[in-house]
Amino acid sequence: MPRFGSWLSRLSVPMVLGCTLGWAAAPAGAADTVNAYSIWPENWARPMFQEFEKATGIKVNFVRFSSGEALARVIHEKNNPQVDVLFGGPVETHAAGIKEGIFEPYKPPSFNVLPARFRHSEGQWVAIADDPLVFMSNIKFLKEHNLKPPASWGDLLDPAYKNMIQMADARTSGTAVTRIFSVLETYGRDEEKAFDYMKKLRPNVQLYTKSGGGGTLPVGLGQAGAGIFFIVDALDTKAKGYDVTISFPKEGIGTSAEAIALLKGAKNPELGKKLIDWAASPAMQSLYAKYKINFVPAHPDVKVEASLAEVLKGAKIFPIDDAFAGANRKRIVERWINEVLNPK
Amino acid sequence: MTSIAAARIDGWRRTFRDPALFTTVIVLWALLALFILFPLAKLLARTFLDGGQVTLANLAAILRDVNHRQAFWNSLLLAALVGLCGTWLGFVYAFAAVRANLSRAWITVLDAASLLPLISPPFTTAIAMIYSFGPRGLITYHLLGIKGFTVYGLHSTLFSETLTYFPIAYLTLKPILAGIDPNVEDMAFSLGSSRWRVFRTVTLPLTVPGLANAFLLLFAASLADFATPLILAGNSFPVLPTQAYLQITGLFDLKGGAVLSFVLLVPALVVYLLQRYWVSRKHYVTITGKVGAQTTIKSLAPWARAPLLGACLLLAGVILYFYVLLFYASAVVALGANHAWTWRHYQVIFTEGLKAIRDTLVIAGAGMPLGGLYGILLGYLVARKIFPGRQAMEIVSMINYALPGTIVGIAYLIAFNDPPIVLTGTALIIVACYVFRYSPTGIRATVALLQQIDPSIEEASQGLGAGSGTTFRRITLPLILPAFFAGLGVVFIRSMTAISATIFLVSINWTLITVRILENMTELSLGPAAAFSVLVVVIVFAVIVAISGLLRRFRTPGAVDMTSILGG
Repeated sequence: MPRFGSWLSRLSVPMVLGCTLGWAAAPAGAADTVNAYSIWPENWARPMFQEFEKATGIKVNFVRFSSGEALARVIHEKNNPQVDVLFGGPVETHAAGIKEGIFEPYKPPSFNVLPARFRHSEGQWVAIADDPLVFMSNIKFLKEHNLKPPASWGDLLDPAYKNMIQMADARTSGTAVTRIFSVLETYGRDEEKAFDYMKKLRPNVQLYTKSGGGGTLPVGLGQAGAGIFFIVDALDTKAKGYDVTISFPKEGIGTSAEAIALLKGAKNPELGKKLIDWAASPAMQSLYAKYKINFVPAHPDVKVEASLAEVLKGAKIFPIDDAFAGANRKRIVERWINEVLNPK
Repeated sequence: MTSIAAARIDGWRRTFRDPALFTTVIVLWALLALFILFPLAKLLARTFLDGGQVTLANLAAILRDVNHRQAFWNSLLLAALVGLCGTWLGFVYAFAAVRANLSRAWITVLDAASLLPLISPPFTTAIAMIYSFGPRGLITYHLLGIKGFTVYGLHSTLFSETLTYFPIAYLTLKPILAGIDPNVEDMAFSLGSSRWRVFRTVTLPLTVPGLANAFLLLFAASLADFATPLILAGNSFPVLPTQAYLQITGLFDLKGGAVLSFVLLVPALVVYLLQRYWVSRKHYVTITGKVGAQTTIKSLAPWARAPLLGACLLLAGVILYFYVLLFYASAVVALGANHAWTWRHYQVIFTEGLKAIRDTLVIAGAGMPLGGLYGILLGYLVARKIFPGRQAMEIVSMINYALPGTIVGIAYLIAFNDPPIVLTGTALIIVACYVFRYSPTGIRATVALLQQIDPSIEEASQGLGAGSGTTFRRITLPLILPAFFAGLGVVFIRSMTAISATIFLVSINWTLITVRILENMTELSLGPAAAFSVLVVVIVFAVIVAISGLLRRFRTPGAVDMTSILGG
């Protein structure tokens, strides 16, 4: 019988080794490292953080999550925050976080020069960029169906688009929430008319995607004909060489600020504040053009890059009122799920 | 004294008399309690407690919603279909591999193709399907000229999940088919039976426990899969795991997500108990220790070999096509737009993605031995030892496998984020999640194998004076060693490829390749996503070849030949 025990103890060696391996890898929080959840895609966040390290010597340790996931995560970690800063993401995400008490108000030096819609009055968040929605269509698809790029919300109701439009799912995506509020604004906040439009659009929708940019590649490949995306995703698709064109509805379309916020209970609050200072200033926002990131800078001193300005020229773009959106978000999204996504 | 009471007292007495057994049982129960029951209890508390009061209101609200009810039936339908199709494919495949007298080269081809889905992240076939079958898909549009083909729905989800999970059935059934002594079939042949009759009355009944195991594993795997439906099911065929995932990540509604998954737990447990009741009524001993004369396998008529091989090769071809497409996507600038060859995507994953690669390897490396050990220990205890709470132990060990991964992930996050046990942000939480979620394959392999091994072999050892430890080490262990490596292999593979639970457990300190792949997909970086997938396939394949070589060296005479279980 003791043999069984000795055999066990021999086998337990790899077990102990395995556990040690797990524990040995304790959080690698060096003194000059700030931790962040980035809602911006990695290929845009990384160059920014590298430049930040170059400028300040502070390293940014980050992971990327889409806005819904990042917010859920931060809320669950409220008692044991794993990161110092929530970086990027449409401001509705941050607005939802305020109610949960997850942020530490902080006003960076640029706070006072920012337009009112680019900052929270108490400094719960500040904006680092602006990101309008656009229509993006596959050129070959348009030609095949003798269509012009959609120039009004009504154009998307054309039967030619049947089952060929992709756009984001409001359950996960900030893009979708901005889109729904755009439709509401277009109809003068008349909910009945707005929902009537969205219900009419439903048969043309092939798929509601989990993330805002999820439909860009299918549209690029022609698997879908058109979609509604943030300009930053649409222009990136075009830059990759996909045969797509960008257009705006004549009635106007919404834009959402991209925000940054300091987390309550952050382990490195001073370093986090330095990152916010830098991100809210021209120091970072003037780099967008260099890295071909098509966000519109939030800081008034940074000029919009020429080719981006060209795309935006003549487009009617209105900001989403974040107070109105924050107050109605949950109800509107629930109504969207019940009446548009899953019509009874 | 009734015999039942006597047996019970006897069970307790035996357990206490054998300190090795006693300690092992206690340690296993402690682990099961900590990593399965505790998180589950925390989750149920969230579901059924409201301000300290027990309430069914949350559950009722979900069940009243017609969309959720639809998602529930959809999940069951999908899981049952995947279970049936996958088990059937796995059986055909296993039958061809071990009972059709194929040459070694053919078997290697079949093995390699069946391994690909198993050693890659589950949504890779889903991605390849979208490019192949959409309105402008490579196959539907460019090859067949079909316009407006809908790729989203039950059909493509079923197809993708069946391709992804049938290798589990294959791995489960192959050793069982291989373990059927050809002499048993010979006896039937010599008594004048036709091949079909032998298959129907001898071969097939002997594989019933394996078929049941395979069906159960596939059913559970499909029930838990959220990534494939997330990409392929579209909005017309909602399933519960995806709904729960969206509810939690999108609407921040942990309660709703928890309730949705709780609803799924019920069918998973029902199927499990049914199979167990059915399986336990049959006898499957074919290795008796009395070795008959060597004989050739005659299960299959010579004319049937070519069609069988052809069908299997067709399946292998479909799988290979998907992976060639994946590799192509990793090696061109932008699939569908710019097809110039480039190594850029690999450069990206080995610089920016290096941390994810390193983290994943460390986690998989730590989970592998732990999972293998845990699997055979628990499987052995459950199949061979009599101790109180044996059935409960087996059922508990299956819970995390049957539960949708999203919920296991969220349960872990709730349970281990606050004192007394804070594991959030560590590698241990991910390792534990993998070990307790994916070891059931090893447990079931051990149990199924032991069901084929006559206990009289062990009894003979003990009759000759060896203790339970010695008997386990010298007799049982060599016989179930293949199950150990199967279990260990599956834990490693899943550590490299799974996402549903651990997407909630990755942290700023520890991230995983699969999570990066899904992120890259949504970031329009198809190239790096494909490159990561190819890397995962290569790494897992290399490890499997190594394990398989190891297994060959350690093989003991008399052990069931399962060397090829991992595709070496």
